[in-house]
Amino acid sequence: MTLRAWPLKLLASLRLTVTLFALLMILIFVGTLAQVELGIWHTVNDYFRSPVAWIDPGVLLPAGRPLGWAVPFPGGFALGALLLVNLAAAHAVRFKLSWKRSGMILVHAGVMLLLVGELVTATTAREGQMAIDEGSWSNYVYDLRATELAISASPDDPASPTSTATTAPSGEIVIPDTQLAASAGRTIPLPDLPFAVEVQQWIADSQLIQTATAQDLHGPSSMVAAIPAQGQSTFTAQGQERLALPSAYISLKRGQESLGRYLVSAYWENSQPVQVDGKTYQIALRLERHYKPYRIHLIDFKHDKFVGTDVPRNFSSLIRLEDLQNGEDRQVLIKMNHPLRYRGETFYQAAYKPGDTGTILQVVRNPGWLLPYASCAMVGLGMAGHFGIRLAGSLRKEVR
Amino acid sequence: MKDRALLLLAAAGLVAILCWPSAPGETGPFDLEAWASLPVSADGRVKPLDTVARTNLLLLSNRQQLRLGDKSLSAVPWLAEVMFAPERAEEYNVFRVQDPGILEMFSRDGSQPQRLRLKDILPLGQQIFDQARLAEQVPAGERSLYQRGMLELFSHLQRYIQLSRLEQPYLIPPLTPQEEWRPLDFMAAMSQAQSASPSVPAFYFRMREAYRQSQPAAFNQAVAEYRQILSTVMPRQLWKAGVEVGFNRYEPFYRSMLVYGLAIGLAILFWLGGSWQARQAGAWVMLAGWLVHTMGLATRVALQGRPPVTNLYSSAVFVGWACVGLGLFLEKYFRNGLGIVTSATVGFLSLLVAHHLAEGDTMQMMQAVLDTNFWLATHVVAITIGYSATFLAGFLGITYIVQGFFTRRLTRAHSQNLARMIYGVVCFALLFSFVGTVLGGIWADQSWGRFWGWDPKENGAALIVLMNALVLHARWGGLIQERGLATLAVCGNIVTAWSWFGTNMLGVGLHSYGFMDSAALWLALFVASQLLVMAIGTLPLDHWRSFAAKAAPTPGSDATPQVPTPA
Repeated sequence: MTLRAWPLKLLASLRLTVTLFALLMILIFVGTLAQVELGIWHTVNDYFRSPVAWIDPGVLLPAGRPLGWAVPFPGGFALGALLLVNLAAAHAVRFKLSWKRSGMILVHAGVMLLLVGELVTATTAREGQMAIDEGSWSNYVYDLRATELAISASPDDPASPTSTATTAPSGEIVIPDTQLAASAGRTIPLPDLPFAVEVQQWIADSQLIQTATAQDLHGPSSMVAAIPAQGQSTFTAQGQERLALPSAYISLKRGQESLGRYLVSAYWENSQPVQVDGKTYQIALRLERHYKPYRIHLIDFKHDKFVGTDVPRNFSSLIRLEDLQNGEDRQVLIKMNHPLRYRGETFYQAAYKPGDTGTILQVVRNPGWLLPYASCAMVGLGMAGHFGIRLAGSLRKEVR
Repeated sequence: MKDRALLLLAAAGLVAILCWPSAPGETGPFDLEAWASLPVSADGRVKPLDTVARTNLLLLSNRQQLRLGDKSLSAVPWLAEVMFAPERAEEYNVFRVQDPGILEMFSRDGSQPQRLRLKDILPLGQQIFDQARLAEQVPAGERSLYQRGMLELFSHLQRYIQLSRLEQPYLIPPLTPQEEWRPLDFMAAMSQAQSASPSVPAFYFRMREAYRQSQPAAFNQAVAEYRQILSTVMPRQLWKAGVEVGFNRYEPFYRSMLVYGLAIGLAILFWLGGSWQARQAGAWVMLAGWLVHTMGLATRVALQGRPPVTNLYSSAVFVGWACVGLGLFLEKYFRNGLGIVTSATVGFLSLLVAHHLAEGDTMQMMQAVLDTNFWLATHVVAITIGYSATFLAGFLGITYIVQGFFTRRLTRAHSQNLARMIYGVVCFALLFSFVGTVLGGIWADQSWGRFWGWDPKENGAALIVLMNALVLHARWGGLIQERGLATLAVCGNIVTAWSWFGTNMLGVGLHSYGFMDSAALWLALFVASQLLVMAIGTLPLDHWRSFAAKAAPTPGSDATPQVPTPA
């Protein structure tokens, strides 16, 4: 039994390489078209970061609507893994280490690194945002794609974006949206609190409407109802991808006794007070938070425009970073193309609050962020070397 | 003898194209030429009034000259009318409206004018405002033609009114470092005009009054005095404005487009049995066109203080430039006219595309996130060179198929030569498109924290890389031979056109900086034509003239002429 047994030969074949390239091109093209209907986020998860892409032909047509059935196609994970195997096998079978081959080996090593980098990003990178008003502090990053029901026994408002605490407020209990969605119609016990939460209705993609008559409801207004979002397009008028925000009808219960029915919604910025046994609790359905062991203060947000136009010239946030654990207390200027990297996370200038009163920073944790840099250098050098050697040879032949 | 006549003709053609006088300056008693080279600030950039006039007229009417009955009015005198005699200018048919639903509103006695006058539009101003406000609330990708037309008309109306009220461009320059450009304050200008010490607003006020009262001497004197002041306060800006006016008038890209056409003609003459001089002349002519092209690019770079590619328009100009540069290199080594015909064709077409992409100021300021010369100079330039090389390989592929199928020129040696050219150019394309794509990812990581976001433009770039890699691997694996190489290279044209323009039409993601309608039709036509060429490329060889008639060697063969070559 030699190394050149046929399965290895097949795995190492250029025929497989070319087939995989062609399939990947189809997947990318189809995935690009599907974005118009589904938005980038869904397409990335369903097509590129998935072993199998279920392609609904309806979403590929201009102004198309899903047909409700789908064709399976190898997804990005499957094709990426096969390409890696193909490449590794080819080097095991065909390539011998030699000076002439060094360029190609460097190129392929760089490509492998790139594929691995995208896998690391796909599986480990986390994205969130931090919003800070001018003159205030923030110590948490929120996730735009996940929500949680927070119940706080402390007077601190759990939805307030300007909490001054340096750690998660003590006595704050959170129920993630996945648990809320799974418990629709059931009661979630809360051991540390004198009441439990019954999820009467969970609406993952909701919209709020005014009602004609008052309902039996606690909340900011009894004249507001939540219904599933209808006829909403994937993109907003400003061209941003629309976020699905949930709302829920919940009932607070002590034993079998109901303490009141509440509407909670991620659309609302503030929490609602709840009186139980003369004690006030705050409840809020809010974007999922990740508290940091440090806090950031926004000193000044700047939004420069070109003279006589509304075209933004620069956005920048002058911040103060205070980390008592590490003894850090310094000022940092975050602006376009100049992020802050701190504790494995990177803070980018992403957006701003209406009227330029505050900043919104994109916060990304991506352990694989350096891999593409190395990959680019390897492939660039390898290709330039390889093609350069061949071009020189070829031209010499031509001139002769 | 015949050849000498031909060469003389080619030289005469070249001189004619390059030295033909620019469109006549503004004649007449008013020295509008001097007025048009005054620097002002519009859309965030300091530029001459000449550019303001050209870009606005083109934007509003899609024309470079207005047709008024049997006369025509070019951009600069039009702007002078709008700014200084708005009551006359509102009679000119300027506003182009395409949507029949909107045109309906303005039809008089059943006839619809091609361009509307401000006078026709103003009475319906409220209605246009209401409709535009409604349309604004609809997501951009879902707006109907009527809604888009209304938004466009409304923004054009705003633009025109700002011009006629002297709110835009900003006319008053900063005379001290603390100041910024600002619009003319008409009342202040009027009062200052009376005072003894002249000020900038007063100069504009004098120009206006002299223009309105038909006093050319006074107008010319005000312009001259104002220029005198600028030459001491901001000599650099004044000089740059003058250079830009010269650039606008000379139209270097238009001229190099014509020169490329001439070069193609000469190279084809060589193929049709002409002597080697025809090919050599073609190469020299192409070099001359490329130098003019280079000069135009360099002027833009100098005026803008930016790397050459900053928007879709400049990417088209650059694709042509890089492609012709590569073609000159190919021609130097292969000397068979192919480098000329293919690259000059891409150069010609891309400049034609650029001409149609020029909407508004083509040197507009960059959005904040794009405001970085480092990434514009590396990522964008590398990606665009990748486009150029992929197109060049594709057009070499087209030549292979067309020559093989329709003519008898595709001999064994010729086929090998062409395949080598395609192979080399695809390698080059892969290098630049890969490096450019990954650099783009690194830029994205730097600016919004995401190396790869699977956004349409990124996906398009990845498709080009994959296409080129696919071609090379298929060749290495022996899955395709010379003909397959040519056919797949043509597929590269489709992928590149998609990545360059198609992705922008989807209107998704951070890269969608341009939305185009009629362009979609042209893209579809281009893709269809490439598919047709590919289909021909896969027809059995019995149908190929070059292979069906193997017998006699073809005249004017591809054997390399034994002469030194230019370039």
